[in-house]
Amino acid sequence: MNGRLPLIVNTKCECGHQNPVGTVLCEACGKPLLDDPESGETLEMRYDGMARRSQKADPDVIDRVWNFFSSVKIAIYLIVLTLLGSTLGTIFPQESTFLNIDPSTYYEQRYGTAGEIYYRLGLSHTYESWWFITLLVMIGASLVICSLDRVLPLYKALSRQKIRKHRRFLTRQKVVLVTMVAEDPEVWTARAVQPLKKQGYRVFTDGGALLAEKHRFSRWGPYVIHIGLIVFLLAVLARGLPGLNMDQHLAFPQGDLIHIPDTSYYLKNEKFTVEFYSDEEMPEEFRGKKVLPKLYETKAVLYECTEDCGDPSKEPKLTKVASHPIQVNDPLSYKGMKAYQFDYDLTPVLRSVTPKLVNSRTGDSYGAFKLEMKNPQRSFSAGPYTLELKEKYMEFGLNEAGQPISKSPYPNSPAFLFLIKGPNLPAGGEQYFYFPKQNDKAEFQQDAINDKLGGAGRFLELEVGDMSGVDFSESTSYLNIRVDRAMPFVWIGAGIVMLGLVLGFYWQHRRIWLIVEGGELTLGGHTNKNWFGFRREVSFFLNKMDITADEKSLDNGGGQA
Amino acid sequence: MNLLKFSNDVFIAAFFLYSIAFMLFTIAIMGRKWSGRKPEEHTARWGKIAFITSSLGLLCHLAYFFTRWAGGGHIPVSNMYEFMSFLSMMVMVAFTVIFSIYRKILLGLFSVPISIIVMAYAAVFPQEVQPLIPSLRSIYLNIHVTLAALGESFFAVGFAAGLMYLLRTVNFKSSSKSDKRQQRGVEFTLFTIIVIIGFLASVFAFRGAGYETVFIRSNVTVDNPGQNDSTIEKVSYKMPPLVAPYHSEIESFQSFFGIKEPLFEAPFWMKGVNAGRKLNTVLWSLLSGAVLYGVLRLIVRKPLGKALQPALDGIDESDLDEITYRAIAIGFPIFTLGALIFAMIWAQVAWGRFWGWDPKEVWALVTWLFYSAYLHLRLARGWQGHKSAWLAVLGFLVVMFTLVGVNLVIAGLHSYAGTD
Amino acid sequence: MGKARKPVQIIILALIVLLGGYAIGTSAFGGGGKPEEGSRAPSIELLGLDGQTHTLDEYKGKLVVLNFWGSWCAPCVKEMPALEAQWQQWKDQGVVVVGVNVGEDQMTVQNFVNGTGVDFPILMDPDREAVRRYGVSPLPTTFFINAKGKVDTIHIGQLDLSTLSAQIGKLVNP
Repeated sequence: MNGRLPLIVNTKCECGHQNPVGTVLCEACGKPLLDDPESGETLEMRYDGMARRSQKADPDVIDRVWNFFSSVKIAIYLIVLTLLGSTLGTIFPQESTFLNIDPSTYYEQRYGTAGEIYYRLGLSHTYESWWFITLLVMIGASLVICSLDRVLPLYKALSRQKIRKHRRFLTRQKVVLVTMVAEDPEVWTARAVQPLKKQGYRVFTDGGALLAEKHRFSRWGPYVIHIGLIVFLLAVLARGLPGLNMDQHLAFPQGDLIHIPDTSYYLKNEKFTVEFYSDEEMPEEFRGKKVLPKLYETKAVLYECTEDCGDPSKEPKLTKVASHPIQVNDPLSYKGMKAYQFDYDLTPVLRSVTPKLVNSRTGDSYGAFKLEMKNPQRSFSAGPYTLELKEKYMEFGLNEAGQPISKSPYPNSPAFLFLIKGPNLPAGGEQYFYFPKQNDKAEFQQDAINDKLGGAGRFLELEVGDMSGVDFSESTSYLNIRVDRAMPFVWIGAGIVMLGLVLGFYWQHRRIWLIVEGGELTLGGHTNKNWFGFRREVSFFLNKMDITADEKSLDNGGGQA
Repeated sequence: MNLLKFSNDVFIAAFFLYSIAFMLFTIAIMGRKWSGRKPEEHTARWGKIAFITSSLGLLCHLAYFFTRWAGGGHIPVSNMYEFMSFLSMMVMVAFTVIFSIYRKILLGLFSVPISIIVMAYAAVFPQEVQPLIPSLRSIYLNIHVTLAALGESFFAVGFAAGLMYLLRTVNFKSSSKSDKRQQRGVEFTLFTIIVIIGFLASVFAFRGAGYETVFIRSNVTVDNPGQNDSTIEKVSYKMPPLVAPYHSEIESFQSFFGIKEPLFEAPFWMKGVNAGRKLNTVLWSLLSGAVLYGVLRLIVRKPLGKALQPALDGIDESDLDEITYRAIAIGFPIFTLGALIFAMIWAQVAWGRFWGWDPKEVWALVTWLFYSAYLHLRLARGWQGHKSAWLAVLGFLVVMFTLVGVNLVIAGLHSYAGTD
Repeated sequence: MGKARKPVQIIILALIVLLGGYAIGTSAFGGGGKPEEGSRAPSIELLGLDGQTHTLDEYKGKLVVLNFWGSWCAPCVKEMPALEAQWQQWKDQGVVVVGVNVGEDQMTVQNFVNGTGVDFPILMDPDREAVRRYGVSPLPTTFFINAKGKVDTIHIGQLDLSTLSAQIGKLVNP
């Protein structure tokens, strides 16, 4: 039925109505226009036989493009292609599932030649590829044009229905009954009104003709679904606009105040907790064998910068704006920005140590000072001594030339070089290497190094008495910081889709036409789905009218379900 | 803990009641020409008994569900065992709904076994009540999983009705090309179902016998020159190994019918020791399925589809066609709400992104697209009868791949515990 | 309705082309907001070793060689002399070399600069904000930003003197 119509057709119906090209059933009386009058097949009732907007005798380019997208066949092709395209993306993991990989080598290393081909075809980012997006855009276009092309004619057809239809329109419905009635036509139809109304129909009569209709709104279901999908797709598209969307993955060591890039917010992880299920809470089979986490929680406080914000040379002024215990299904939310629990790391990170300067011979202590790992003070004094911090290494190591270097910027095995001056030391001072971590001290042989630097007579040592002299962040919590200002529209779209689905699938548009003429009752019925229930309803109605017709006998065969 | 024990007991009771109901449905349909009674009367009478039995089964199943919920402290849909049990329960719910609309006894003959198979599949997995990990601790676990399963169950009933339609209408006598193709299609569908039964049979048979063989494989990865990292992977086979994992050694071997070592080794591209185990399971399923199929063929001496056809005599095919469509039309909105919309809401709450193209998400979308294509074809292009029935059958395959296949073949965020 | 039909069709098709084109365009050429060769260099605002806050705008009209480095990164350390040599050679001809230190504190940076005798401006990015904006993952990474503020070339990995010289020469005298 797609555009392959004869060029010149007489579209005027015998009832006098002038129909547009492409009309299947006369818009006014329903008489079948196109096919053989003798045919007994059931009628094609889609869009009530109206011409779709796009069907035109001589299409130009715009019409052709329009026709292309208005075709359901094309829509189905698009759906199937999208379906097949989506499955391709699940063969191997997508690039976006990894935080840190180089895709150009990863796929080959992990999956061999197949992986290499997969990557080269661009399937490692299927859902961001131009062809996939193009498919989605075409589906969007099809949704708009298909709907527009059908909903307007359908609306017109349904809002100006004639009560009296052509007899052939009735007898070629899927539910048909032709039987004798002795009563006067008008009396019979008048009597039929009440039972139909009881069944929830709106009833219109015109002499011996009757039209009963219910749940017409269900016909709009599909179009409501399509509108919802369009809203949804537009909202998804809008997410990509600059400023509407932000997505960052940040580390928050416990106790540190961290700036959230591109915002005026700072977030502090005051305490991160991970809890595991106790043995009592576990099933017997698992006890002592499995460890299951119960809770990840970051006690977070959000600050907003009010002054001196962008300027790194000044300290920003902060005000607390929100605090929330962030859990996996319970993010912190403030003015559209949300912080989600993502990951954690229980490795403690050293923040500062407070060593004492002691005389190793006499055991005298000259006092303690606080040594920060990050931005430490450059000189300290302890009793009569001054210590000047000359070098610091966050992860101590030696380079190829044997010189001390830092292997990373993280304080995993920090080391400090001091120049100590004071009584009983050489005039230029004495160099002293200090490893705050006990195991580093042994591994890198602190004493041996210092013996070499200070000679046999050296007597000063830096020592941390107990754990109170060590400050570290116990753990690090990783949070996702996101802003998604288009989300409300995504939900509105999804809501509209659901509304349309419920309207369209859980109700059916049912119509019954009756003509009583010359002692004969002709009944035709149509529903857009659920014929089974409809036949039952018609049979029930006929019983009320003292006509016995079992459900099956109403079935005219074929037709649409 | 008593609740959990009770829960396990009623679960088994439900399983047996379903099995009995299935037999009763079979008697109701197949036996209608036996006695002197009118066939309709026979079917109605036995069908009623069968439906009552299956409803009792459903009651037990519901009792299982709620006592396990009470005993475990959370809704029992959090691992593969619980989810599959729930799915089989929802299949029975969907069957009950559709049955109460259409009153077709025959529907029981095809829906109840689906539920039984899914239930047996559930029992393959470990059955302990496992406390919820943080990511599952959310009200959306309840809503998302239950609605998705309910929607999929209606698709299952659609599948059952679609298959019935095909069994009823495919011309098994004709040898025209298209009829032949349909005959082969029906036979293949039945064979697939039998392979699944074969899988279940092998799992439970070897489990009953306490079979185990263990393979180890040491992986050496060279990260830095001169520095080798070696890890040892261990895998325990619960079925006699026809195929060993690629490059593995036997740690302990329990011989089986004189088989003292694996017959061959998995191909190199099957990385990971579990890939070898899964391949072994697939082989056993195919093997036992083929044997079972062969035995059935020997008994009936004709293609199974042809043998089943007479059982469907006298069923109105257009009713079957409509039931197929109706089941899918009822399931589609529920599926959309549960498997897509609430999935998106939950993902937004838990991860801050409503859609991430995770394999499970993609396959839920594929399922949805498939059924929307089905609906468009049927409503706007007039695909009915055979074509529509084939789509209903195929659609359920997509559903099952989404539920089971994705976990088996593709790893993702939805990794339930203990996927076999 | 009959008469309005054509304009309505045209408007709808135009909207689809516009929105669809935008969607496809951003997917094909957008790519996550990281600067690529040819795109505008993101602005940065960082504290320099000199104690002043610096932005890229200060160097407008000049060719900027923006080098991300860390003292723990061996190839970064190795390419420093080449960068310094180029800075000395070109600094009077509208070329500025800017080193952005990634994630280290002032003392470390200061000690490193003193030790290697680097003279070109050094900025510090302790919170890795510039790193994020420029989408830098391995170090060193060097961006050549032309006088119009557009990224001309991105070089990942160690630079040697001759490539660096050739690259700058090409940009100064095209």
